[in-house]
Amino acid sequence: MELNFENITKSYKNKQVLKGISLTMGTGVYGLLGPNGAGKTTMIRIMADVLRPEKGSVTYNGNDIYAAGDEYRANIGYLPQDVSFYDDFTGRDYLEYSAALKGMEKKRAKERIGELARSVGLSDDLNKKCTAYSGGMQRRLGIAQALLDDPKILILDEPTSGLDPYERIKFRNIISAYAKDRLVLLSTHIVSDVEQIAAQIMMMEHGIIQHVKTCEEYIRMMEGRVWLVNMPAEQLVDYQNRAVISNVRAKDGCMVVRVIEDAKPDGGAVQAVPTLEDAYLYLFNYLPEKNGR
Amino acid sequence: MSLFRFELRKLLLNKKTLFLLICLLILYSVVGLTSTMFLIGGNDSYRAYEEAATDWEGTFDSEKAAEAEKIYKEVSARYGTDARMIARSVKDQPEIILAVNYHAYAERVDEYWIGTPPESTDEPYGIALLQDKIAELERRGQRNSLEYREFSASLQRLEELGEPQFANTLLWENLFNNWGEHMMQFLLFVPLTFVIAPVFAMERSCGMDNLILSSRNGRRKIVTAKLLSVLVASTVVVMLYLTATFIFGFLPHGSFHGWDAAIQSIPTYAQSMFQFKVWQLAAIGAAWLIFTGAVYSLIICFISSRMKSRIGTAGVSLAVLFVNVALAAMGDTVTQRLGALVDFGLANVTMIKEVFGGYKAFNVFGMSVGYPVMAIFILGIFAILAVWGIYRGQKNRTV
Repeated sequence: MELNFENITKSYKNKQVLKGISLTMGTGVYGLLGPNGAGKTTMIRIMADVLRPEKGSVTYNGNDIYAAGDEYRANIGYLPQDVSFYDDFTGRDYLEYSAALKGMEKKRAKERIGELARSVGLSDDLNKKCTAYSGGMQRRLGIAQALLDDPKILILDEPTSGLDPYERIKFRNIISAYAKDRLVLLSTHIVSDVEQIAAQIMMMEHGIIQHVKTCEEYIRMMEGRVWLVNMPAEQLVDYQNRAVISNVRAKDGCMVVRVIEDAKPDGGAVQAVPTLEDAYLYLFNYLPEKNGR
Repeated sequence: MSLFRFELRKLLLNKKTLFLLICLLILYSVVGLTSTMFLIGGNDSYRAYEEAATDWEGTFDSEKAAEAEKIYKEVSARYGTDARMIARSVKDQPEIILAVNYHAYAERVDEYWIGTPPESTDEPYGIALLQDKIAELERRGQRNSLEYREFSASLQRLEELGEPQFANTLLWENLFNNWGEHMMQFLLFVPLTFVIAPVFAMERSCGMDNLILSSRNGRRKIVTAKLLSVLVASTVVVMLYLTATFIFGFLPHGSFHGWDAAIQSIPTYAQSMFQFKVWQLAAIGAAWLIFTGAVYSLIICFISSRMKSRIGTAGVSLAVLFVNVALAAMGDTVTQRLGALVDFGLANVTMIKEVFGGYKAFNVFGMSVGYPVMAIFILGIFAILAVWGIYRGQKNRTV
């Protein structure tokens, strides 16, 4: 399986949101990280065929996805950023309607709805109105909808927003088990979601995919760039205006500050074990500030 | 469940729309009931009218016409010549109503033989008038002209139809008024607009577009399902109107008298060239309203597919409807200048009295084509264009 983006460009009014994205994805989980306005949702919408690029082409196994039309969309499971519902639909109605949209057979749809409701913990709530669901329940219903037809390409835009920690872990497990032989694109702000399960992580900013690496590669890249610095609380306000801080923790009356910095900071700093979140801050906060300084 | 059943549920079988339909049913029933009750006094008055009218029904009788003329003169001296004013003033006097109606019938008989006045802008009607016009064209050597063929056909048809006969069609007249006046366009087409408007716009306003457009059936099959649900919804609303006004129009007096009379017995259809019985016109009128309602609904559907909100869709659709009504309500000079725009505008084409009440014909490449056939053709084109636009729009639609 191969999904290929070739020089994809998209603008809204005069602002270019995607600037010639070229990228090839195979099976496995792909994480898409980037700050707000990076173009993640636009890229995802193009991939889900709900938005068309101005230039460039997207091909699936060599075929243009827009020419393939229904045939391509039959392979997609898509969870949009904002899951919406009809006022008078229950959870079951919503999933049955989604199954009808996906052209699933009635019997299979019924079976899958039962399976997925159990997986996402909504078995007892399927007959309640969607609008009565909590934010987390709506999100889980949206995930069940995306997985309904066992899609070959699963596109998830901010899938874990609104989920509690246990639900997020459950979600990660579902996706990990699911990703075998399939392509999963997971766009999120929550770095730990992709850290755990993504085989490849794409860092996107200003409409360009800046980096595509494995989690380990990002962490290796950060070795010698993450520091722990002890300082009194009074100094912290001034210090955080000058440095990119990934965490602050109070210990023994003083602050232990986790700092992203190419060179060792002053004041008895010690090296810390880097994480993907450090890499994110380094790429999207530290480097731009440093280059601007 | 199939997509169609879901779409039907979203459009029609949901609490809000069902509540609206119940309200409409009540409104239409009240319209049917009140229109009949104001037609003539109580049930006794109607019975008396029906009994008296039995003696007057049939071919033209000059003695009865003279008697009716005498009564009419007295009544008009007291209440004026406005037919509605007279009707309101004498609704408890069945004998006078009968005389006034017979007097109007006598005038229609005159018109059948003599013809419409020369200054009339309507299609030429009447034996003598048509004969004159045909003779004039013959004098000018225009026997092969389209006009000549039309007048000859009209004359032949008029002779076949014969002189109008008098019949008691009081309740049917009321039914055809309810089905064929501008009031119907407000009572029926305005609510229909609000029922159909959300069909596509709701997906945008509630954000379901993402899910629909990314799915296998979200660009073609869903359109088919939506169009079918629109046709069903439109038929249900129109049927509600037709059934309620029919039942409550006849119920108070419990009589279908006049059902098998020729439609020329009904004043509004006196000049009709169609050889229909009253019950046949009712059936054709019902089918016509269902058809035109469906075409209007497809136009709303097209507008909905291009709009982001149901209120916007309803606004634009109502603007289209009201512009048509306004154009049709303009004076003769304006409507004649606008020609086909008025003839095939929603206001005229949805009214059965406009389509079946006369004998309007159109010159299509030298052929004379009747109004109903042309209307079906033009509305068919509107419907096809709307459906094509909807499919094409959904194929290229993005969020």
